[in-house]
Amino acid sequence: MEKIRKYWNRPSRSAYVFIAPSIILLILFNIIPLIMAFGLSFFDVPITMNHATFVGWDNFVEAFHDPRFINSLKVTAIFTGIEVPVQVLGALVIAAFISKNNKRNKFLRAVYFLPVICSATVIGIMWRMILHSNIGFITAALQSMGLGKINFMNTPGLTIFVISFISIWRSFGISTIIYVTAIQQVSPSLFEAAQMDGAGKILQFLHITVPSIRPTFWYIMMTRFAGALQIFDIIYVTTNGGPNYTTESTVSYIYSRAFSSNSSMGYASAMSVVLFIIIMFITVLMYRRMVKED
Amino acid sequence: MKKKKTISIGKVFFNVPVALILIIIALLVLVPVIWMTFSAFKTEREIISWPPTFIPKTFTLENFVDVQGRINIIRYIANSVIYAGVTTALAVVVNSMAGYAYAFYEFKGKTGTFLMTLATMMVPFQVIMVPLFLVVYKMGMYDTYWGLIIPRVAVAGSIFMMRAAFTGIPKEMAEAARIDGLSEFGIFWKIMLPQVKPAVITLVILSVNGSWNDLLWPMIVTSSTEMRTLANGLALFIGQNTIEYGAAFAGALVSLLPMFVLYMFGQKYFVEGMSSGGLKG
Repeated sequence: MEKIRKYWNRPSRSAYVFIAPSIILLILFNIIPLIMAFGLSFFDVPITMNHATFVGWDNFVEAFHDPRFINSLKVTAIFTGIEVPVQVLGALVIAAFISKNNKRNKFLRAVYFLPVICSATVIGIMWRMILHSNIGFITAALQSMGLGKINFMNTPGLTIFVISFISIWRSFGISTIIYVTAIQQVSPSLFEAAQMDGAGKILQFLHITVPSIRPTFWYIMMTRFAGALQIFDIIYVTTNGGPNYTTESTVSYIYSRAFSSNSSMGYASAMSVVLFIIIMFITVLMYRRMVKED
Repeated sequence: MKKKKTISIGKVFFNVPVALILIIIALLVLVPVIWMTFSAFKTEREIISWPPTFIPKTFTLENFVDVQGRINIIRYIANSVIYAGVTTALAVVVNSMAGYAYAFYEFKGKTGTFLMTLATMMVPFQVIMVPLFLVVYKMGMYDTYWGLIIPRVAVAGSIFMMRAAFTGIPKEMAEAARIDGLSEFGIFWKIMLPQVKPAVITLVILSVNGSWNDLLWPMIVTSSTEMRTLANGLALFIGQNTIEYGAAFAGALVSLLPMFVLYMFGQKYFVEGMSSGGLKG
């Protein structure tokens, strides 16, 4: 025992002891599942999970002929198309207004960041109830303003916008704070020089702030895109895909095909692989822009 | 003089709408949270009355009793405490050990293993959830605490963060301790880890918040009612098209409160962890 301890206590060797737990866990629970996701997509795995039949490309062929899968891709695209631009640009504008370190701005930043600590479940209950058609406070407030009784959670065509809004509500605080940090690192002399030249706040924003924080902009774009393409929990706790599948995202559909009564793990894996390729493609695109701007 | 005046008028025109927008956004964040909090103390009759009230007419605690009657919320809270507590304790040890090794040691395969660790950061959880479930199932950990906890311990982002923190510590400190005869683990645990306290606190807060609020993984890996966490159990409770609104509000408030207290005391660490964690070094 003492011998073993001495052997591993040499700095060059103990490094392996230090990294071993994390490496083992990452291989077991990240790398192997990733490889398995690709492998499983070529198999038919029954719900009992005791054997698997090789089916070649069948799962992929089935996916692209599955109206629910195609619909889920569309829903995810619409959601991403609303959520990402509004959040990425909105947070930038807000950040520009609250980047100075004073009491008011610090308070606003603390408020905007608050949703980050709420679980999807809490956010779901909160928004589902406040927009509820029978008990919702906002529904009633809008009705008293003469807008009529809007059924936010159950109107095809509208509900996807509501989901996008809730998702932005949840995470714009992080985006804003990241922008604020970036803006604070822009040299103040640039702003002073612009002010001497008589440039107003808007011109300063467009000609100094925006160009200076470009890498941050692409970083946020990249992370928000990846996040939006994986949207699941907010949908699960609010509409669970309804009404009539108009808010069923790709991950929502994958989840229901993998872990419900008509479970088909092979098929779910094939859809995961398609999603993975889409996410990777966009991430690499954004990453290259980010590195170029840096 | 004249020029100055026009600027100040412009400033007013610019500042008032801006302040208004910033306040409206702040209200959009706060109103649902406050309304939910108030509603948890309303009677069921007041909740379903139309138009809905904002401030409760009568305060009651019956919703908190109700929710325990409908779902075993005390058990769910205990499960969430176990999940968040054990995951975080293990995460601190495992991830800071790895971060320390990458910052302080030279060894064969350092670049390779580090790149592999970084690569796992690119793998979206939603993409691997199906095979991950199979791995845990085949290991016999399905519907157990270990199945819930162990796969969530090692996090590449945390290793990366700890490595960055340790890189700022001079190597001479380790040398001095080595001459004093401390073991390698002793140097790490007693000398080095206390040096990076802010990073450790950030890791703790991120991990506690992440597992307390986690919905997807507990849903996948547990099946029995006794194993449900608070976030998971509440989501299933409201998913049954519940009309017991009061109980839902009370449950949500109970779930939010610990994180809110944590946020009040450790806002700095939340912000630091959430905004710097991830891909950027």
